[in-house]
Amino acid sequence: MKIFIMPPNSLILYDLVERFGHQPLSLMGALKDRVNSKEIEAPPLNVTLDDVKLGLKYAGIEIPSGIRGRMAIYGPLIDQAEAAIFMEDAPYSFGCVGCQRTNELAKLLVRKRKVPILSLEYPENEDEAKVMVVEIKEFLEELK
Amino acid sequence: MNNDVETRLILIAPSSDLTPDRVARFVHNLGFLVSVKETCYGVVIEGPKEEVWHTLTEVRKLDPNRIFSKIRAFPMGDIRRCRAHHGSRPGFAQLEKEWKDLCLVEKGLVCLEKGEKPPELKKRTKMPVSDLKKFIEEESP
Amino acid sequence: MIKIAQLSCGTEYSAVQGEIENAAETVGAKMVYPDVNMDKIDKAVQDFGFNPHSPQLKLMIARAIELADKNYDADAIFIATCFRCAEAALVRTELRKYVQEHTRLPVVTYSFTERTKAAQLLTRMEALVTIVERKELLARERQVGLTAGLDSGSSTTKAVIMHDNEIIGKYWLPTTDVFSAAETALVNALAEAGVKREQLEAIGTTGYGRYTLGKMFKAKLVQEELTVNSKGAVWLAGKQKGEATIIDIGGMDNKAITVRDGIPDNFTMGGICAGASGRFLELTAKRLKVEITELGDLADKGDHTKVKMNSYCSIFGIQDLVTSLAAGNTLEDVAAAACHSVAEQIYEQQLQEIEVRHPIIQVGGTALISGMVTAMEHTLGERPIVPPNPQYIGAVGAALLSSGLLG
Repeated sequence: MKIFIMPPNSLILYDLVERFGHQPLSLMGALKDRVNSKEIEAPPLNVTLDDVKLGLKYAGIEIPSGIRGRMAIYGPLIDQAEAAIFMEDAPYSFGCVGCQRTNELAKLLVRKRKVPILSLEYPENEDEAKVMVVEIKEFLEELK
Repeated sequence: MNNDVETRLILIAPSSDLTPDRVARFVHNLGFLVSVKETCYGVVIEGPKEEVWHTLTEVRKLDPNRIFSKIRAFPMGDIRRCRAHHGSRPGFAQLEKEWKDLCLVEKGLVCLEKGEKPPELKKRTKMPVSDLKKFIEEESP
Repeated sequence: MIKIAQLSCGTEYSAVQGEIENAAETVGAKMVYPDVNMDKIDKAVQDFGFNPHSPQLKLMIARAIELADKNYDADAIFIATCFRCAEAALVRTELRKYVQEHTRLPVVTYSFTERTKAAQLLTRMEALVTIVERKELLARERQVGLTAGLDSGSSTTKAVIMHDNEIIGKYWLPTTDVFSAAETALVNALAEAGVKREQLEAIGTTGYGRYTLGKMFKAKLVQEELTVNSKGAVWLAGKQKGEATIIDIGGMDNKAITVRDGIPDNFTMGGICAGASGRFLELTAKRLKVEITELGDLADKGDHTKVKMNSYCSIFGIQDLVTSLAAGNTLEDVAAAACHSVAEQIYEQQLQEIEVRHPIIQVGGTALISGMVTAMEHTLGERPIVPPNPQYIGAVGAALLSSGLLG
């Protein structure tokens, strides 16, 4: 199944979803076609003016351009999501996922799709990491 | 870049004895149609999707609970994401943090492998106002 | 190659990163991103004292601190965040203050939309490069020798002759042909000063036509109007030290510039619609059948609250004016309302994008219209300082700075 991960560029979540036999919906995957396109209209990520307009599907015109541009990438991933794993309070997520407002909006839009969601805390010690890995495994097994 | 071509980061958890150099040589010796480049945390491999996948499967076998991977949007050595060109891009700090925490994930994977029950975690909750009030009253002279 | 450190959030997702890099390249600079490792970020945020929710803003803070701690080498700083993002606007403003307190690097801030293009960023980037390359020149507070400044504006051309820190000749006229307007202005300013052109030790040019005039008059200094006007404004107002906001309402457009020790660090520019410029006041004067020079006094006698006028669009603004005259309002009230409408446009459109610092110095030809100054006073809650000769800021700045290039 296609699993939306949050943060959508997380190495840990990407690896575990794939390791346990599902397809992670990631930002890297979404950006790959853009950045490898022959025509780079808006370097470096090639999120173009038209993309920012496409973001209007997810967020209104009064919303900052950075959110709409990010939603142009997140949005289609959310539309495909069959389940999702949210890692709350992840202490990282810079770059693509650097805007907390976008991240909150993305989670809301996933919740509205009524797909199975696993919410986790980012582990701070070994015990928490054990719980996280086991919960992810169980969640993904049940989806099969 | 062709759509069937994939670029992947392979990261070695800090607790592993493997080195990027050793993994790179291992990849070379596998003979798949992939290019490989060492990084601070492991290697980057690039090639046709299937070949990349086979390579990853083999590399994982070296240290299954300490080898991690995710795909990368930018092709190998892309100047747009090159640190030397104009300083690190934002995603770098994130990767650094996740790499450090791979030791924790490793413990989780080991727990799973052994079929252990994970420990019960206590949730940190906020003290009820009535308890707090009582506490203040007790402490006040 | 001048290295401009970029502290930003959202540029790569708003289709503007390429525009930023193009603008930098055009002026011979390169954008760089200060390296920060993960461990330093939390500490940086803690030390800075403001903890934004968005991780990218945390990274901006950490990068600024790397620059302040001299762990990363750059010549200038460009801080940019999405327009309309409150959290980012707070970080942008506070970071600007922080880097100014902790580094000697010039800073320009900007809040962008997806419509931002390289051309809009060019003057800012050019100003950053000017500030880096001409730091000592911009620090000059006194004019020396005998020099001339030419300001080729979009609607008027101004010339000033200065001698040992005093204006001894000046002249302005509407811009027609860039060269002949400048020639006439210079000839008349020289006549008032009582000096010959051959005696001039240097000429400085600024404004839209600066490059053309620079060649024609063999100018020693050819410089964008942002740094030049700022210098001229603080010199005229006698406020060379510390912070200030310069509100420059010209004939065709308007600028709001924030400065620190006479060097600009942010500015916004309006002018898409003439409703927020001197042009609207000209139209008003024409409709009221008074000279533009009389409009200010007339407005000072009126009560703007009696007339509903909105010059958001100058066409609708004039319609409002006609309607209110027809309804029996006095010329004085209408004149006051016109000035207020321009002041409100500037407040709503320009001053929202910058942080207003004190004192406020009002310049540009419209500063001579007292009703316009009164309207700004009502809008801002304090009366702006209007220096003598407020229309000559560009020419004075050019004359002053060109004297710094004398051998």
